[in-house]
Amino acid sequence: MTPTPAGRQPGPVLAVALLAAGAVAWAAVPMSGARAGARLALVAAAWCAVASVARTATVIASERPGAARRRAGRYLSPDPGARLELRSVLTAAPWAQGLTVAVVVLEALHRPRPWHTVLLGVVMLGYLLALHLAESAAGPAALRPQLPLIIAGLGLAGLAGGAALLPATSAGAGWLSVTAALAAVIVAGLALPV
Amino acid sequence: MPVRWRLSRHARRLVTLALAGLFLAVITSRPEFAGIAAPAVLLLIPVRSRRPATVGVTLASGADQVIEGEQGVIAVRITGQGDVTAWVRLRPAAWITPGEATLGADGWFQLPFRAELWGTRQPGALEVILHDRWRLAEGRIVIDLPATSCYPAPARMDSLVVLSKLPIRLGEHAARAAGEGMEFAGVREFVPGDRQRRINWPATTRRGTLQLNTFAAERSQAVVVIADVSTDVGPAGSSSVDLAIRAAVGTTSAYLAARDRVGLISFGRQVRWIGPAPGRRQARRIMDLIMTSSDAGQQVDAMTRLPHAALPAGALVIVFSPLLSLRMVEALRELRERRLATVVVDVLCAEPSVNLGLRIRDRRAIELARRIWRMEQQAIRFSIRELGIPVVHWDGVQRLDEPLAPFTRRAMVNRS
Repeated sequence: MTPTPAGRQPGPVLAVALLAAGAVAWAAVPMSGARAGARLALVAAAWCAVASVARTATVIASERPGAARRRAGRYLSPDPGARLELRSVLTAAPWAQGLTVAVVVLEALHRPRPWHTVLLGVVMLGYLLALHLAESAAGPAALRPQLPLIIAGLGLAGLAGGAALLPATSAGAGWLSVTAALAAVIVAGLALPV
Repeated sequence: MPVRWRLSRHARRLVTLALAGLFLAVITSRPEFAGIAAPAVLLLIPVRSRRPATVGVTLASGADQVIEGEQGVIAVRITGQGDVTAWVRLRPAAWITPGEATLGADGWFQLPFRAELWGTRQPGALEVILHDRWRLAEGRIVIDLPATSCYPAPARMDSLVVLSKLPIRLGEHAARAAGEGMEFAGVREFVPGDRQRRINWPATTRRGTLQLNTFAAERSQAVVVIADVSTDVGPAGSSSVDLAIRAAVGTTSAYLAARDRVGLISFGRQVRWIGPAPGRRQARRIMDLIMTSSDAGQQVDAMTRLPHAALPAGALVIVFSPLLSLRMVEALRELRERRLATVVVDVLCAEPSVNLGLRIRDRRAIELARRIWRMEQQAIRFSIRELGIPVVHWDGVQRLDEPLAPFTRRAMVNRS
């Protein structure tokens, strides 16, 4: 997969924006039955979604041919200097991670609705993959090698959604907690410096 | 070179989704959140794939000399990366505009860049970015690039100022004296010993006696360019020094192309010079003098007169100066005393600015100071003109021919 920043189009940014907005809206509705703190999580999610889309658009615009030339050799008055500062903050902060956490927390603050949650997971995965494609200027074909893993992951998500519909017992709930904790340890191990 | 690998941004986002989902699954005992985490966990599995610890980076020479505003290319080859994707990028230094890298069929990356301002400087740092097949890990190598000499873009000058009295030295300028040149000068009566092939038969028929065509002699002249770099005013890129240097390079190139003997005096804190000489080697020496900022040369404060070796008698002197240095004005007076034909090209294109944050009374005082400054500048130019030295203004945008047009249309009279 070879990045070709010169050929970047606004399409991927649009996809990222739509998926981010869809994830926030899907996790938020209905707000009436949500627990306390849902409104705060919604605000955080909306803010992170906007910032994430703005960041992606900024990164793509800065890599457009001629963008560097427009920047070079300019004497900056205080106003554009502050704008550059804002831009550096916008591009440095992990807005996508913030959106991920805020959306999942917002969903957790609602009453249990397994299939709704699983679908939110699918939208979130789509958002992350679209963001990845937009940043790397690659086409959807770049995801082909990962297709088996994505399908397997979606299958597991479906199983989890189905498991949530089973009648809960106290023993089952404990087993689930231990399994999830073990999986968290595995993920943490994978995330250690490589 | 050793590669520092770390999780890519994509991988970090997947880790966040996985951890958030699993954490909430444990806290809330709701297995559907583990389902949210599942695809992210699976996509993170290949993060432990094999990656090279070192790669080879070869930089080809060829980008060490460029001309201001023109494109240079850095050629880079990455070896030993295996099945990892490699890409290169230029982290540009000031006044460097990077282009998009392209990978050639020969395996070399071509990384174009453009230097926007003359001078010797590093174009920046070369960044090699490596990605594994899944784009979950990202390796980076940053290499400082060697310094590049960016030569000033020469100001365009198509017509030359030529003196009325030229020294007896073979060249390309038509002199007033008759000689063996190509330019027709007139007709005179044939005297024994003249070449028969030069007989003008129509004139001979009209006058009844043998008439001969005469031609102008072709001579060269000595030209000395003085670049005043003692004061630098104006925005970078179009400051007085930038303009003076571009004009000096354009002028010396034009006269050297006309086979004249050309010299340069760099009039800064130190006065450095190269005596007039013809040829391509002289062009190289002049460029080297401009590009090097050594402390060699004579201190301008300790100097009483301009160097005689650099200013031969009968030379044409073209001065590019913002006329802000009194030393320069004294030097012009000295040139006049030596009876050298001199033209001053004023390259001052900036005025003292007024800070808008000041109080109105202060702003009025500054505006008054600026008016006094303008009048002082006008007085300096008037005094130079009164000495008999023409002063023209060049804005750095138009061709040098335009301000020098009054002197290029006919030969400039020199009295030496």
